[in-house]
Amino acid sequence: MNSTPRRLYIFTGKGGVGKTTLSKAFVRYLNQHDHEAVYLTFKNQSLGDHFLGNSETSQNGMKEISLDLEECARTYIERRLKSGLISSWIVKTPFFRALVNMVPGFSYLIFLGKILEMGKDNPRLIVVLDAPASGHALTMVEATTNFKNIFESGVIFDDTSKMLSRLNDPEYTQIHVVTLPSLMSWQEALELRSGLKERTPVGVDITVNNCLYPLVENELNALPINIRQKALNEKSLVEENRSEMQCILPHSLSTDPRAIEMDLLGSLSKLI
Amino acid sequence: MPLAPKSFEIFCGTGGVGKTTLATSRALNLSQSGKRVLLVTIDPAKRLKDLLGLSSESIGEVTKVELEGVVLDALLMSPEKTIARMAEKYQTPDLVENKIVQILSRPYGGMNEILSLVEMQMQFESGAYDCIVLDTPPGAHFLDFLEGIGKIRSFFDQNFVEIFSYLGQKTAKAGTKVFGLGIINRIVSGGVRKLLGYLQNVTGAQFIDDFIQAIQIIYQSKEAFLKGLSLQDKLKIKEECNWFLVTSVEQGKAQEAIELKSHASHFIHQDHYLVLNKCLEEELRDWHPESHNLLQIKNTLESKEVNLKIRLKESFPVVLEFPEVISLSPLEHIHFLTKKWNQYVV
Repeated sequence: MNSTPRRLYIFTGKGGVGKTTLSKAFVRYLNQHDHEAVYLTFKNQSLGDHFLGNSETSQNGMKEISLDLEECARTYIERRLKSGLISSWIVKTPFFRALVNMVPGFSYLIFLGKILEMGKDNPRLIVVLDAPASGHALTMVEATTNFKNIFESGVIFDDTSKMLSRLNDPEYTQIHVVTLPSLMSWQEALELRSGLKERTPVGVDITVNNCLYPLVENELNALPINIRQKALNEKSLVEENRSEMQCILPHSLSTDPRAIEMDLLGSLSKLI
Repeated sequence: MPLAPKSFEIFCGTGGVGKTTLATSRALNLSQSGKRVLLVTIDPAKRLKDLLGLSSESIGEVTKVELEGVVLDALLMSPEKTIARMAEKYQTPDLVENKIVQILSRPYGGMNEILSLVEMQMQFESGAYDCIVLDTPPGAHFLDFLEGIGKIRSFFDQNFVEIFSYLGQKTAKAGTKVFGLGIINRIVSGGVRKLLGYLQNVTGAQFIDDFIQAIQIIYQSKEAFLKGLSLQDKLKIKEECNWFLVTSVEQGKAQEAIELKSHASHFIHQDHYLVLNKCLEEELRDWHPESHNLLQIKNTLESKEVNLKIRLKESFPVVLEFPEVISLSPLEHIHFLTKKWNQYVV
């Protein structure tokens, strides 16, 4: 591996483009190259009735962390007010719950705070975040700026400013937009990338996943009409936009998610 | 198969599965059957715009669109415009002036979901429509949001009267006239004062002032918010609402659709449909490739799709299948889908 990896990789893009498989494969890839990487998701985005708690599991040597909003909020307030009692009380008040649930951006602020805290606690840790679907990635990136503007002073303001400077540091954070090789998906990915670029100076690259055409390129005439058209569309899309595509991944003929992860491993060096 | 039109038709899904296109074709089909239809999209990708040829000036405004021989009303949600409409309708001009409300009602400020409910409610109340077709933002988020509504409602509950009494005191000091101070002042409970005191330690005093003002203003508009939230009750009623959970073969996400459903079990009633888009099975069945490579591809694609359908049919009472029609132009595509709905209508 030539370059030093960043500390936070955010994989985003709409649902079903293979974000989960790709980000897991990327964690494996980093681990294979002697980095300490974790796969991270958000368990919930609103405060529910039952406390779930953060969870950490290990599967085939890969660490997976799932963050719970209530626990993250509680530990943040606890650290700030130096009282576990008061913080558990605050997160349980109906008022606090209503506020957090009404404004989803608030929950991202809490989650991102926790992720950066983890990075501070362990300077070797690389977090690979399997982020929520596209529109909400913008909400997530925008949340920190918005809340910095809302809080003009005080501890949260300072914390948010610190968060923002790290999140916005291209050496620290890299965003990967994952998409499929269809015109509509591609246009959405470009739209998402420019939306993200307006909001953050960090690198935003596009990965095109699940390309069928490399598999059938030599036998196009033997394909049924819609599948042939699909392959042809993919091919011309990739040829026209290759310079904008950081990584192009072929369709995997495996059916099991773990086997697909393994199929991807060889093609991920460009994501560093 | 009974697929009767309802007052509300909600399309949820993972995004990129053709949800907007399907919602549009459904709206057109309803419109062709003589219904007065409004198509609302809060999908931040604004795909509907391209499809319907809407200009950027039309964002946030109800716009007439002529397609498939009918005229349809379409609305691309703009949180800012909805806030402005609320302020006008409920005569709460402060709503557009408050800094916190302004920041949160930016396109990605995070209030899309609640405002879309308020908007749908206002449009429904206008009496201009028989059907409102909603294309929701991708992912489980909208359903999560609906699940959390009970808690948001409590925001406006009597329990919070104490908060506002405290806020009232604050603003009264600043010389502002506030609602029913005399009585409320007497029932001040220490709890809220303490909470705000702790908050002030971490947020700074300026935020508390802005916040109090925002809460007060939002509270003044509580009728609008509560009415919007009460829409959720209608969505729970079978006679009022059809739910469409959209997924596509390409994305092969049976698990996601099933989770989406179990997630939403509190309010999704029996009239919900799994819409499986971009099916290739029919085409694959008639394809007999000679090369080993293509045969392997055919078999993989076919078995993925068949397994997907088996899993979906185990969990959903009705699965509506729409084939992949990639060889058509966008307009021909819409035409094809609009006609396809007839197959499922009573």
